[in-house]
Amino acid sequence: MNEISAMGSDRAVPVAAGEKAGRRIKYIKATFLDIFLAFYSILVVQRAIYDRFILDLRDLPFSWTETGAIFILSCVIGAWWTYTRTSLSCRLFGIAKNNNVAEWTVEIFGWFLFDITFIAGWITTKISIVSLFSGEGVQGAARLFGALFTPQFGILNDALFAMIETIYIALIATLLSIPPALILSFFTARNLMKENKFTYAIYYILRIILNFVRSIEALIWAIIFSVWVGIGPFAGMLALLVHTIASNARLYSEAIESIDQGPVEAISATGANRIQIVWHAIVPQIVLPFLSYTIYWWDINVRMATIIGLVGGGGIGNLLMQYQGLARWREVGLIVIMIAFVVWVMDYVSGRIREAIY
Amino acid sequence: MLLTVRDLHKTYKSGTHALKGVSLDVKEGEFLVVIGLSGSGKSTLLRCINRLVEPTSGTISFLNQDIAHLKGDQLRKAKRQIGMVFQQFNLVKRRSVLANVINGRLGSLRTLESIFRSYSDGVLADANKCLETVGITDYANVRADTLSGGQQQRVAIARSLMQNPRLLLADEPVASLDPATSNSVMQYFEKINKELGTTVICSLHFLSLVRRYASRAIALKAGEIVYEGSPDDIDQTWFKRIYGEEAEEVEIV
Repeated sequence: MNEISAMGSDRAVPVAAGEKAGRRIKYIKATFLDIFLAFYSILVVQRAIYDRFILDLRDLPFSWTETGAIFILSCVIGAWWTYTRTSLSCRLFGIAKNNNVAEWTVEIFGWFLFDITFIAGWITTKISIVSLFSGEGVQGAARLFGALFTPQFGILNDALFAMIETIYIALIATLLSIPPALILSFFTARNLMKENKFTYAIYYILRIILNFVRSIEALIWAIIFSVWVGIGPFAGMLALLVHTIASNARLYSEAIESIDQGPVEAISATGANRIQIVWHAIVPQIVLPFLSYTIYWWDINVRMATIIGLVGGGGIGNLLMQYQGLARWREVGLIVIMIAFVVWVMDYVSGRIREAIY
Repeated sequence: MLLTVRDLHKTYKSGTHALKGVSLDVKEGEFLVVIGLSGSGKSTLLRCINRLVEPTSGTISFLNQDIAHLKGDQLRKAKRQIGMVFQQFNLVKRRSVLANVINGRLGSLRTLESIFRSYSDGVLADANKCLETVGITDYANVRADTLSGGQQQRVAIARSLMQNPRLLLADEPVASLDPATSNSVMQYFEKINKELGTTVICSLHFLSLVRRYASRAIALKAGEIVYEGSPDDIDQTWFKRIYGEEAEEVEIV
């Protein structure tokens, strides 16, 4: 109560000024968004709908003058639109006028945006019902499916070995990821690092790096490592390892962030030092979530290892690629069934183990 | 004087002024109870005394040492002599009762020793003795979260006894317990206070418990001490002054 009255009397002036500044920032944001929306709408209508669909052009012409002209036009439209305070962005930022024009603009323009986006998406994806149901195509697919469901067991030996290789690649990648992910997780847990500016900076930088690494798919890492260490299981393992470290460090640190702070408080009240607090109050609370996440990642890694094999990461994916290249669909069928089976088993087992842990 | 608090202020980052110049003397062997509404500053006061919360200004002199301004090792040494019991027990749920009790000794153990859990026989014997004091020896090896609330709180008391504290802080220790259990837990505090001579500062909600256990009471209201004296002198007038006009006293067995 005291604070509110204090704000009302003593700080009346700065609050009003802050509000004014906040409004100005909202206007600027709304203007930019309106310009973007106008630019987007004109571009989509002109290029995707008019050029590609109505004129049916194969190669879309691109000219800077044209795009520039469209941009300038949208700047004018966007600025004017925000100025009248009837645009969609004005509504989004809560500065729109309260009249019919504003309401109708929002409704009509909102639907317009959704519709052109959907239509442009449809056109870009080249959706064609005709080719989905063309006689020749359906026949080809039927032949392929037939082959897949009559697998050729002659390569069972090779396929088994490749499958085992894949499982081991995933296992080793998961196991090797534990120590680095563990160490990183403590440095990327907000509740442990927020205490002073220095540790918070470390937290922030590590988070950015991990987010960056994680945003690169394991598939891309596999391509990088197959150039680095040569095609084969080692490259695949490294790719999975990098991706697992980044992902697991995140999951681990979230587990640390969601611990019960009570025991931490209680143990620090006994005069224990930081290492003792971490070891006796935090670690007992995170061991099981960590274990659970690790098993979960082994499961995911088995799946990813099969994909990574496609780009030279070794294992069953590699074998699949070879037979697919030779168009030997019955062999491919065997491999696909095998992968499906192993993935299902892993999924089931890891689910049961994680259930038992909790 | 065991503890002398002078002009203690605490302002949280959010701007809440939780303590507004609290001064307080606590004699050795007292059973001091702190009462007041939720948000009146009871928890903050207790947490400032063992520095779980950093006081903004003021002095806290404990055994003639200003612990409000201690740092590092010296602070940890001071903390060792102050035990604390919490409303939510704050046990490590997945560890055994015995392990939780031993946690109370961490401050005096070497880091490596505590990491590898190579506790000496003396430590184990002490832990068992503490469990005996609160009557839970039978459960030493079960997981802490399998116990009932009252039993968990007794384990928490045993953990604080492992510190051999000169001062025992208890932050609403019975607020999450049912009335009958509350009384039995309070009896352990009484026992520790009478038999071991440990000074106790405890915050409570029920006046009937205050009258029964406290040797002295203070009341906080909006961060200031509004009452100090014998618990028996808190009559209806004082009650309304502390808890507000609309409050009515409820009895607890």
